[in-house]
Amino acid sequence: MSIVEFKNVSKIYTSGDHELHALNDVSFTLDEGKFVVILGPSGAGKSTLLNLLGGLDRPNKGTINVSGNDISKLNDNELADYRASTVGFVFQFYNLIPTLTVYENVNLVSEISKNALDAKEMIGKVGLLDHLNNFPSELSGGEQQRISIARALCKNPKILLCDEPTGALDSETGIMVLKLLLDMAKNFGKTIVIVTHNQNIAKMANVVIRVKSGKIRSIKAQENPLSAEEVEW
Amino acid sequence: MLIKKMLRTAWSYKSQFISMIIMMMLGIGIFLGFNMEWKTIEYDTSRFFNDTKYADYRLYSETGFTKNDIKSISSIDGVGAATRYLSVNLDIKGKTKKAIALDVSENFSVSTFVLISGKQYDENSDGIWLSDKFANTNGISLNDSLTLEFQGAEIKSKVVGLIKSGEHMICVADSNQLMPDYKTFGYAYISPAKLNTVLREKVISNIAEEMQKSGITVQTAKEKAAQIITDEMITEATDKVFSQINLRSNLNKAELEDAVKEKLGKTIMVVSKEDHIVYKEAMGEAEEGKTMGSILPVLFLVIAILTMVTTMHRIATKEKTQIGVLKALGFKDRTILVHYSFYGLLIGIIGTVSGSALGYLICKLVMSENGMMGTYFDMPDWTAATPFFCYPIIVGTVILLALISFLSVRAQLNGTAADTLRPYTPKKMKRIFLERYSLFEKLNFSTKWNLRDLIRHKSRFAMTLVGIIGCMILLVGGLGMRDTMTGFLDLLDNGISHYATKVNMVENTDYQNAKQLIKELGGDWESYTGISIDGYTATLDIVHDNNDLISVVDKNNKKIYLKDDGAYLCMRLADRAKVGEYIEFSPYGGNETYRVKVIGYNRSIMTEGITITDTLADKLGIEYNISSVYTDKKSGDIPPSDLISGKQDKKQLMDSFESFVQILNSMVIILVVAAIILGIVVLYNLGIISYVERSRELATLKVLGFRNKKIGKLLISQNIWLTVAGVIIGLPAGVGVLYWLLSALASEYELKLMLGPLTYIVSVVLTFGVSLFVGWLVARKNKNIDMVEALKSAE
Repeated sequence: MSIVEFKNVSKIYTSGDHELHALNDVSFTLDEGKFVVILGPSGAGKSTLLNLLGGLDRPNKGTINVSGNDISKLNDNELADYRASTVGFVFQFYNLIPTLTVYENVNLVSEISKNALDAKEMIGKVGLLDHLNNFPSELSGGEQQRISIARALCKNPKILLCDEPTGALDSETGIMVLKLLLDMAKNFGKTIVIVTHNQNIAKMANVVIRVKSGKIRSIKAQENPLSAEEVEW
Repeated sequence: MLIKKMLRTAWSYKSQFISMIIMMMLGIGIFLGFNMEWKTIEYDTSRFFNDTKYADYRLYSETGFTKNDIKSISSIDGVGAATRYLSVNLDIKGKTKKAIALDVSENFSVSTFVLISGKQYDENSDGIWLSDKFANTNGISLNDSLTLEFQGAEIKSKVVGLIKSGEHMICVADSNQLMPDYKTFGYAYISPAKLNTVLREKVISNIAEEMQKSGITVQTAKEKAAQIITDEMITEATDKVFSQINLRSNLNKAELEDAVKEKLGKTIMVVSKEDHIVYKEAMGEAEEGKTMGSILPVLFLVIAILTMVTTMHRIATKEKTQIGVLKALGFKDRTILVHYSFYGLLIGIIGTVSGSALGYLICKLVMSENGMMGTYFDMPDWTAATPFFCYPIIVGTVILLALISFLSVRAQLNGTAADTLRPYTPKKMKRIFLERYSLFEKLNFSTKWNLRDLIRHKSRFAMTLVGIIGCMILLVGGLGMRDTMTGFLDLLDNGISHYATKVNMVENTDYQNAKQLIKELGGDWESYTGISIDGYTATLDIVHDNNDLISVVDKNNKKIYLKDDGAYLCMRLADRAKVGEYIEFSPYGGNETYRVKVIGYNRSIMTEGITITDTLADKLGIEYNISSVYTDKKSGDIPPSDLISGKQDKKQLMDSFESFVQILNSMVIILVVAAIILGIVVLYNLGIISYVERSRELATLKVLGFRNKKIGKLLISQNIWLTVAGVIIGLPAGVGVLYWLLSALASEYELKLMLGPLTYIVSVVLTFGVSLFVGWLVARKNKNIDMVEALKSAE
């Protein structure tokens, strides 16, 4: 059953007289519970795609259906509610609030999400219960990313969106984070969309979407994806 | 090329640059304006006093001074020039409620005037030289005739010149009138020759009056009187009216007092110019200016400089990568430092130039013919003078601003080019002291977030607080000053003066002479006598208040029912004796010393002195004259009398405060506007810094699904907290500053600090209004935050 449907979506950025077609008439669907990797070089339009799916931006053309709702026409408040209820984000640079502790960062989502899960439990799941009262600056990059994943999942979203989640990490930590993402997705039955330029991560995916120059070049389903440990970095 | 970059970078930070320039402009402008104001008062009045040969000392004798007396005084070593002087308040005939102080100087090298139009002074002239301001206000022109009522006689003269005189630069009828009112009171000079003619006629008239009692006609009596009148009679009359000697001298008061006593063989009341109402008030204004100037400008300048420190630090951290790029390109540290120091220099120069213009405007708003002081001082020339210390302070401020830029950038230049190229990393978050308490854990996210943010950005937090406190101090100070003055006027109108008309008596009117008139008027009365308390000049106020037409009040403005067993000291003299102790004083013009028990303290509106009842004065055997009689009769119903030198109804007195109230209102408006500008500029600037510093966090919240409104509330809630804290500190601080200002002014007035509930409400509401308005301005920017852009780079 498809959870995401992009139909003829275009996104154009204008800068003065210059127009940049970040996405050009893109259409695809994603099934629920899958691990999807969007692959492409820098400037291909993969982050734009993720931003549109995450409700951070609106397309100029086309419709984006998530769980049967068209999010392309939502106003600012509706988009905020969509982000609060339907999607969870994991960024390359973690984006934790530096003035909040680990627990507070994760528990923050209970302020906006009605279905929020228990923050302490989520922190336990990412293995950082010992750091509940630490500030982000007291954690390593990998630990911060794990907290970021806990925070994203704590909202109990339908889709987890990850933008280069291992981009700022060394390979060992990167593998650990990817494994965590996969395990969590499996345990919680979430759809995960990872945007990356790292071809190796694609080997772990159920579906790989290749993007280039604002267009979908291919969509490939993988019957037997590798585990995180099996991936060569 | 770097200059282009500098200008473009400045433009990209335009809101910070503009707000810093405004702050510098306000800081320098108010600093300069207030300091120029008092310096200009000193400079302009000194020049005018010098031009009109303002007397250094005034000698008073109720029995008058003879020609021999003035010869003796003139012969004292150290006395430059001296003159017998007459200054008496007279009603203008045919013009109700209009009076002038008429002056005569025998030696026109002391206490003179400057001619504005008409004829030069001539000691033999028959004409009158009239205050140009009084003439203009009342439509009197050169060659118009003026008739003055002088102790039952008339002085009729043509206006031959329009003038300004240092002796009457602050033209008030007496010390009870705070502000000049040229509609009702002015001044004029006549020559000694004219006075002589008038006195001759008066003596003839007096002799003729006596003759008429034996049954001869008026005409015949006058003719006979003119034949028998002698020079001695006129001299005697002249000596009597010259109750004052004005002189210029470089002796100190004690030296002059001793010399006068030695020459004349008796103690004479010597009043130095420091105690003469005009000089005293003018210097008092300058002192007030200095007092006001020592708080407000410092507040503004300090806030301006602190804002600069916070903002330049923020800009430097934001420019860190740019600084790194320049370094990587091969620019030397020195070049980069000089380049960025120009930002501070640029702000300093623009702020100083515009601030100097603002300062000049503020000074002119106060010190110009059409300005606030224009209604108070009557001077021919109004300039603008700057105290010397302002120049190094202004130059120093510009250098300091450049230095702030220099140091902010130098902090970012440390390390290699690669280090500098990395974006600025904020300080690591540490636990705040409140987290030791379990209560902290129970706080909601918004509170924790804001508390930690404040601790993390202490300088921004402190600056915002200082801005709000400053705003509050200005509002409470300004509005409180108005309340205090309104209370003072209310006290004067309703607490002290219950009469309809104040009748001023001619000098030397003792009680026996005035008894009949007092009875007819059904009045209370007062006697003012100059006294010395251990060499300190004060006033003995003998009060007869049986009819409750005047009241003496205590420090709480409550009426004192005067007792006959002791004296009341005014609050300014309170430290001279405790209640129950004795105080000694000697009236000038005699050798007696009196000792009385202090039985209380009173709030004196103007005069500084001792108050006793007439019963006590009689018991002690003090000789006194009646200065004023207070009656509930209207001015027009009071019968003419030789004893009356002038009348002033209460309404007239209260009306004379109108311009004073206007000045006060203008001052209050300036302070309120300054408070609002200060609040808006400081809070907006810091709000923007806070917004920029937290933009990444705000973007994160937005990505997580926080609505704009909720994030806006988060931002505004910090403003509200700081405003609450600022108001809690600022309110007592404002009252404290006002109290301090009033204490500083206490040498002139005994004002009771009064603050109406409306002042508290308006101050708090305006401060909150400013804070919420700025909070809203900043919070609405949140709508436009670019989530994608803000989250791209590493922190």
